[in-house]
Amino acid sequence: MTTLALVVGHSEEIAPGIRELSFSRTDGGVLPAHPAGSHVVVDCGEGRRNAYSLTNPGADPREYRIAVLHKSDGAGGSGHMHSLRVGDTVTVSRPRSAFAPVSTARRHLLVAGGIGITPMLAHARDAVRWGRDVDLIYVHRPGSEAFSDELAALLGDRLAETTDEDEFGRLLDKALTGQPIGTHLYVCGPGPLLDRVLADAAAAGWPPERLHLERFVPAALDPGREFVARLARSGRDVRVPSGRSLLDALHEAGVAVPNMCRQGVCGECKVPVLAGTPLHRDEFLADDERGAAVMCCVSRSKTETLEIDL
Amino acid sequence: MGSAHTSVPRWPTSDPGLDRTGRSYAILSFGPDARPTAEGWHRQVVELGRPVWARHGGSADEVLAELAERVEAARVGWRLMLAGPQADVLAARAVATSGGLLDAEITLLVTDDRHRRVWCSHCDTTTLAEVATGDVTGCSGCGRSLLVHHHVSRRNAAYLGFMVDAETIDGEAV
Repeated sequence: MTTLALVVGHSEEIAPGIRELSFSRTDGGVLPAHPAGSHVVVDCGEGRRNAYSLTNPGADPREYRIAVLHKSDGAGGSGHMHSLRVGDTVTVSRPRSAFAPVSTARRHLLVAGGIGITPMLAHARDAVRWGRDVDLIYVHRPGSEAFSDELAALLGDRLAETTDEDEFGRLLDKALTGQPIGTHLYVCGPGPLLDRVLADAAAAGWPPERLHLERFVPAALDPGREFVARLARSGRDVRVPSGRSLLDALHEAGVAVPNMCRQGVCGECKVPVLAGTPLHRDEFLADDERGAAVMCCVSRSKTETLEIDL
Repeated sequence: MGSAHTSVPRWPTSDPGLDRTGRSYAILSFGPDARPTAEGWHRQVVELGRPVWARHGGSADEVLAELAERVEAARVGWRLMLAGPQADVLAARAVATSGGLLDAEITLLVTDDRHRRVWCSHCDTTTLAEVATGDVTGCSGCGRSLLVHHHVSRRNAAYLGFMVDAETIDGEAV
């Protein structure tokens, strides 16, 4: 795994509970470039690693910029991020692109809920820079409107912002039934918002190929049933109890699998499947990859035994 | 080249059934063989109570021009259902995808594939001919004898044709 040792160049609370941070190289040099919608995984201390969307322009960046919502009920990673100050050092992954704008799209419809605005800010800036047709619906709690002023200046009347759920529903309905064919939709926010947008879009006739989602807060995963991972190369069986991930069970058995986000987002821990049926719970694999691979950080097995190519 | 990687389309030759996930529909059929299936789709869409625009038969050029206008005005949720000979279906599909439709929004039924649109790589003319892939046909633009190659442009809706005897002079290989 390639990581970057960076230094905090900027740390500011931009809305209640939301802190914007920037990371640079100590020599001020250029960082790896990335498309809009990319994320990095940041070491948050005590083995915690969180994925954050990059809001900075991705061409020859000299800083990576993120915005972190403080979650008091989380594992403490966001609290650690909020404690970072200018001059502190951080370990950051190279950027990962899993939510890039579709180059052939005729229009881009962006839907953001709460802190899910961060990848959309990158999309909106990129779309304006390159002259792409873009619309943004932004729903958030009253008083926590991160980036509102900048978005209003960037997008003008192509931004629809609301704090009211009913108004959001009306904006969404209108947007879903009024887009020229060739439009792609991007949504990021809490799980219930994503589920609602996907369901409403499907009801309005949107095929899945036009819908792109970034689950900012990973869905709470149930502990799952116990199963056995059969390691084809060594012939060993590894028991994966309920409540323990396949990745952790493999590690305890002495089998190291490269991993990073541990949320089914980054794609690092993909393992080929030879037999059995995976129970997929990740956001990474495409539909046509789901027969032959499993993301072992979050996914499990529908069958009692899952044979993997390790 | 492995057949898994050919660009020659292998589209359904029997009714794939109506895609019921659309909000509105366009249905086009070319030729008498395709019409019953397309009219069946039409009836089902009407039963679903969803808007439908349909054309059966008529001049292919006019139908394609009208299709381009409909695609331009279409909103996401629109579905295109095409039935007819491969050459017509391929041409209509090219109009639709150039306007932004995805494969997931297009349903196809091919009633026969005897005719091919062949694009001449020498003079840029496209010729419609009754010719099989791998056989030779004359170019209506420059008169060259074109080998119909196993390569189809989805964008131009045509098979690639190139001069079959390009490496001979007066019948002698050079």
